[in-house]
Amino acid sequence: MKNDKRVVITGMGTITALGLDESTFWQNIIAGKCGIRRISAFDLADYKAKNGAEIDNEQFTSVMRTRQLTSVDDRTVDFAVAAAFEALEKSALKNVDGTHGKEMAVILGTGIGCNHSLLNANKSFTAKGIRGLRPTSVPRCMANAVSSQISMKFRLTGPNYVIVSACTSATTAIGVAYRMIKDGIIDMALAGGSDSVFDPFVYGGWNNLGVMSANPVPEKSCRPFDVTRDGCVLGEGAGILVLESLESAQRRNIKIRGEICGFGESSDATHITRPSPEGQAIAIRNALKSAGMTPADIGFINAHGTATKANDECESKSIRLAMGKETERIPVASNKSLFGHMLGASGAIETIATAIGLEQNKMPPNLNLDNPDPQCNLCFVGKEAIQIDKPVAMKNSFGFGGNNAVLILRRYSD
Amino acid sequence: MTQLQIIEKLRTMMRKSSQAQVDWDTVTADSSIASLGFDSLSILDLVYDIQQEFGFEFEAEELVGVKTVGQLADFLEKKQK
Repeated sequence: MKNDKRVVITGMGTITALGLDESTFWQNIIAGKCGIRRISAFDLADYKAKNGAEIDNEQFTSVMRTRQLTSVDDRTVDFAVAAAFEALEKSALKNVDGTHGKEMAVILGTGIGCNHSLLNANKSFTAKGIRGLRPTSVPRCMANAVSSQISMKFRLTGPNYVIVSACTSATTAIGVAYRMIKDGIIDMALAGGSDSVFDPFVYGGWNNLGVMSANPVPEKSCRPFDVTRDGCVLGEGAGILVLESLESAQRRNIKIRGEICGFGESSDATHITRPSPEGQAIAIRNALKSAGMTPADIGFINAHGTATKANDECESKSIRLAMGKETERIPVASNKSLFGHMLGASGAIETIATAIGLEQNKMPPNLNLDNPDPQCNLCFVGKEAIQIDKPVAMKNSFGFGGNNAVLILRRYSD
Repeated sequence: MTQLQIIEKLRTMMRKSSQAQVDWDTVTADSSIASLGFDSLSILDLVYDIQQEFGFEFEAEELVGVKTVGQLADFLEKKQK
């Protein structure tokens, strides 16, 4: 028997520069606040790109304490665990006493993984050689610590693993979890992503890549689709959703926040960093096909919109290629001017913003879009949140490696 | 370093590497190490932290028979001499 279950969202958790819980995060988005500041984690003297959307350490430590969570000394893992806590709590699934397990999958994305642990291991190895290397370096540094720590912490006994596909990681993780539930493999999953790029080494790599904004004004520096954009601005944090079959949510009598109804993916198969409109358009078409929809059904596109010259031009072309004449009508926004490019977490946090936007019929604005680039000829949302006509949205994520992933979300209705 | 000073240092290190929710202010020389959230893996971290802090090396096997915080402090007190 072919299973074709509806997949709904029943909990969301956010750790971002705009808020360490879903409600603060959303209020700040709607208020048009920007989470981008001058980076404070390390000395920026030799760095060209000085802005980022950092999590405030003091506030995050306080959240960990309030949620009775113990740090594992890795920012990526700690962000993920804290966001998972909120998502589970909101979905009335919190089980931190460890007395019994729950069969729930944990499918998370990360672009970089446990880079703070790797950096610490490398520092002590460089300073003291093999005797300086912590004996638990392996379980601390492995990328799947991000999902394993959550599985252990909350006793979730379904499959847990990490998907690594650069900036599409979290979108792909949500898509994979969506398919598992849709196909009846599992009833419930935690899905999303986490990344923390602000250490001098990993961030330095980005600084030197030539894709980062050098704009000196933090809140103006991330300008997706604007003609004056000069590159992306990174952010850190985590976004995690509780996904479950409609039957499971109804059985538990839990509030349904939204629905995932399609997922498509593809590879450019051309260049490691340069995106391809044709490759991206395939992922968009695959997502529509998976949802059983056409471009006419889409009411909003939450773009990848990194604010690099190459991405925004390319994404504009791929939207036009896949959506045809409907492109003239569909409002498009990028959330990255609000909380930066959260890399392997970006797809999750932007899916959450899309889901809440659909739920409340307020789609997030483009903060810094003063003069749309004529090369990005789309129907853009302005600086205020907007209402949309059709309760279906598309979330695009495109990553280095030629990875493309697209989700379709719908406002929940019986 | 006196045994009390060693215990104070251990408390700080254990708080860092333990994965359990423990009221560290109530930890004394008689507290069992196993009750403080250490298993065969996390004890390796604690041994590492102790070696880095105290500046001498020992094998984890030397701790066989060491069950309480006080016994660990005794062991370290003897080692540092």
